[in-house]
Amino acid sequence: MKYIPTIGIECHVQLATKTKLFSEVDNDARGKEPNSCVSPVDYALPGMLPRLNGEAVRFAIRAGHAMNCVINPKSRFDRKHYFYPDSPKGYQITQFFHPIIGEGFVELPNGTKIRIEHAHLEGDAGKLTHFSNYSLVDLNRVDTPLIEIVSMPDIHSAADARDYCKELWRLMTFAKVSYGDLYNGNMRFDVNVSIAPEGSDKLGTRTETKNLNSFRSIERAVEYEIKRQTKLLEAGETIRQETRGWNDATGESTPQRSKEEAKDYRYMPEPDLPPLNLSEEFINAALENFPLMPSDYRAKFTGIIPADTLEVLLDHANLVEKLAELSSPSAIKRIANLFASVLLAEENFSLLNDDLPSATQLNDLAEMLDKNELSSTGGKEVFIKFFDPEMHFKATREIAKELGVVQENDLGALEAIVDAVLAKPETQKAQEDYKNGEQKVIGFLVGQVMKESHGKANPSAVQEILRKKLA
Amino acid sequence: MEITREDLKHLADLSNFSLPEEEMDSLQNDLDGIVKYISELSELNTDGVEPTYQVFEMDNVWRDDEIKTQDANREELLNLTVEEKENQIKVPKVL
Amino acid sequence: MKTANQNVTATMLVNDALKKAEFFKDYNIFTSLYKDAALKKAAKIDERIKNGEPVGRLAGVPFAAKDNFLVKDTITTASAHILEPFEAPITSTVVEQLEKEGAILIGKVNLDAFAHGSSTENSYFGPTLNAYDKERVAGGSSGGSAVAVALDIVEFTTGSDTGGSIRQPASFNGVYGLKPTYGATSRYGVVSMASSLDVNGFFTKTPEDLDLLMSICAHRDEKDLTTLPDFYEESEAKPIKTVGIVKDFDNDAVDPEIRTALKAKCEELKKKGIDIVELDMPTLKYALAVYYIIQPAEVASNLSRYDGIRYGFRSENATNLDDLYGNTRNEGFMKENKRRIMIGNFVLSSGFYDAYFLKAAKARTLLIEEYKKAFEKCDVILAPVSPNPAFRLGEKVNDPVAMYMEDIMSVSINLAGIPGLAIPAGKTASGLPIGLQVLGPRRSDKTIIKFAEEIR
Repeated sequence: MKYIPTIGIECHVQLATKTKLFSEVDNDARGKEPNSCVSPVDYALPGMLPRLNGEAVRFAIRAGHAMNCVINPKSRFDRKHYFYPDSPKGYQITQFFHPIIGEGFVELPNGTKIRIEHAHLEGDAGKLTHFSNYSLVDLNRVDTPLIEIVSMPDIHSAADARDYCKELWRLMTFAKVSYGDLYNGNMRFDVNVSIAPEGSDKLGTRTETKNLNSFRSIERAVEYEIKRQTKLLEAGETIRQETRGWNDATGESTPQRSKEEAKDYRYMPEPDLPPLNLSEEFINAALENFPLMPSDYRAKFTGIIPADTLEVLLDHANLVEKLAELSSPSAIKRIANLFASVLLAEENFSLLNDDLPSATQLNDLAEMLDKNELSSTGGKEVFIKFFDPEMHFKATREIAKELGVVQENDLGALEAIVDAVLAKPETQKAQEDYKNGEQKVIGFLVGQVMKESHGKANPSAVQEILRKKLA
Repeated sequence: MEITREDLKHLADLSNFSLPEEEMDSLQNDLDGIVKYISELSELNTDGVEPTYQVFEMDNVWRDDEIKTQDANREELLNLTVEEKENQIKVPKVL
Repeated sequence: MKTANQNVTATMLVNDALKKAEFFKDYNIFTSLYKDAALKKAAKIDERIKNGEPVGRLAGVPFAAKDNFLVKDTITTASAHILEPFEAPITSTVVEQLEKEGAILIGKVNLDAFAHGSSTENSYFGPTLNAYDKERVAGGSSGGSAVAVALDIVEFTTGSDTGGSIRQPASFNGVYGLKPTYGATSRYGVVSMASSLDVNGFFTKTPEDLDLLMSICAHRDEKDLTTLPDFYEESEAKPIKTVGIVKDFDNDAVDPEIRTALKAKCEELKKKGIDIVELDMPTLKYALAVYYIIQPAEVASNLSRYDGIRYGFRSENATNLDDLYGNTRNEGFMKENKRRIMIGNFVLSSGFYDAYFLKAAKARTLLIEEYKKAFEKCDVILAPVSPNPAFRLGEKVNDPVAMYMEDIMSVSINLAGIPGLAIPAGKTASGLPIGLQVLGPRRSDKTIIKFAEEIR
């Protein structure tokens, strides 16, 4: 029997605000000492009250807009209660029941639309590190603002699950609401997977694999779960609704310990925070200067940049943003090619963290390539030098000159060099051979001219002149 | 509504109290009396009434996104805990 | 308020207060005293006065804070074992406002643990005794605050009022006690009981002192987003033409001597040309049930943070995390704390939320509307604070529902968020103080304080 998988995904996105959701301490704890980004509010001293960060509200509006979502003018916070050392207050403050972001959709590169059920603002939890007979608690991450994005169960393959997560990641980074640093847990994914026989109108029992933080692990975990469930059903067994943990090293997931009874979180309206009641003006103001999204770039660059190259570039908001600044389609095409072939080559990955060249530098580079003033090799050399701290402020032509890679295109000057080469005794034999129909010796002659010009001649122009002269 | 011994144990669980057996009788009796009293509210007709959770009649109150020095620093906060190790709070192992 | 000057120095005022605190030790008022720190602060103020430098509006005035107010470098107990030991690294906004005006904190005073109670008998440190009869309770939860003013140890004290915790002990001890409009004063740095009901206020011997304290403390605080924009200082006291009397509070459940005191007060008012109108407020009889649903729910939530992990008491019997939580919370909380936390978890738990918590939240709306309508018929309401004067120690402490009945006429004010002021209104035949409360619409704090001055 054929089984159709149905997948819904919850994604936690840490917002890149300067301060936390409820206190004025540094929100970016990456590389900082444990508990160094903790206020008395985060520490949950007695008598401490949450102080809502207005910027987190604006970021949530922008995140929602990126996913084509309705922004709910009215939303409010609830308390979700549970005891664990990562939760100093004993509850999480969350908008789960009255979220700021309503329904919307995300379109995958292949055109599939995945509907968004809602997305809500909430505070993150702290971190525990377990040792043999004790655990250590670091509260740096407590109440980092999160939005939790809940998809509808519209996904039906592991590849689409991966693409959906990747597209979400692109949307959040393009909208600049998250650093999108997956390694540091800026985005974390929980995937709900069930399978049902083809044609069945009922969904199967679902499992939830929690806390995935790479696109590859999402794809693998979904694949694994589909296989596991199919095997069980085929063996006539039933699937248990459970939470599972993914082990990337073994490529397997295992059920996580869960209490026998369902948890009762005793949600309660948060009495310490005023509700949100946003005006249209406020929402519009939050969306001012909203950047282009991946779908905008796809529409803009189709026919200019090959689709597969564009998808690669769309993993880097800064690269496509830069391309959009360039002056002509041919410049976009040439620079896109350089970005993809040079900048995204593994040995140059580190350059991605540096400032990109200016649009003027890149426009000039494209123009020099267009005019054959640079060979494609010369173009790459200049391009790399844009990232050299000694060079990055210099004009393109200046760099090309310093590198000595500007090609000689002046026909008069080239002719003189060609004449000089043809006058040399060591080229006479080759000239004879060419005239006798041995076309390929033209390469030797071009080489001689290039040598004479110290590499600055434009080889195609040289070949053209040689052919005329020897005809 | 009557509070049974099982209810009491469930509520103790939710509240995270390791209640000793000898405390249970009196607490069960107390809670039962309180729940009976508050259950009288069911007499009141509240059909079509919107709930009130807060009484200060304000919305959209928030602050700017600026880092500020806090009223207490890490050292002052961690000094309050029973056991600290490497600037973290030490707790016994999770079962 | 007696402030320090060239002749009566702050040092003299503080020494006097400390001496009285020592003298009345057997009333069990103070949970801690800060003799050295207080005298040091007094000396500084005296120095300023001597040099002719400006001093604040409360220069050298000794005061005490209810021991749920956090003050930097002092022990805060909330009269509960689970906070032992807890030395706060921060100061509550209200105490900071008072100290900025030169007031001198000489100590912290007793309360029912976490302010759960109406007698101060639920304190881990034992009950505070009534200022007029040592066999009787101080009232609660701000019992220590009321008795400290009644015995004239300090000029004023701070208190917190969630369902009557300022007004009832004030009336049991014959002093003024103000529960301001919800959000008028900051809750920052005061141990939360039930966030949507908690208000911080004061005990004094005169309404004028309350006016001064409100001018100083009723301000918006950016550390408490539920504080109101400043309104107190700019507001005008409304002249009182009509006073409302709640029919539903005038029944056999109320002590006859209290009913007589209320009637006598009404006669006085009539002579002054004030009209008395009777109010029908049928929802009020449900207020106590509503309160004992909403309040414990918020208590259960707010007290989740006391877990022995980051501060305060941690049980010795904690070899694993589950035991750390279960034993710390079991050993650290008083019985009444446990009752309220468990009731709160009951009304919030799945299956019961709609019938209890949501139902109570809807009833709260009806109560608010009922008060709004009442204030269309009168300028202020005059009512008893509690059904009886101070009762005997031990009389109700083991019967929670009987103890809760103490709050029957005080809790609706918190549910509606309106201000209430307990005023002394004579004594019983046996010499116990009787209190009445003046109630007004939201933000009418100045009106009720001025009215209390007029009808003194």
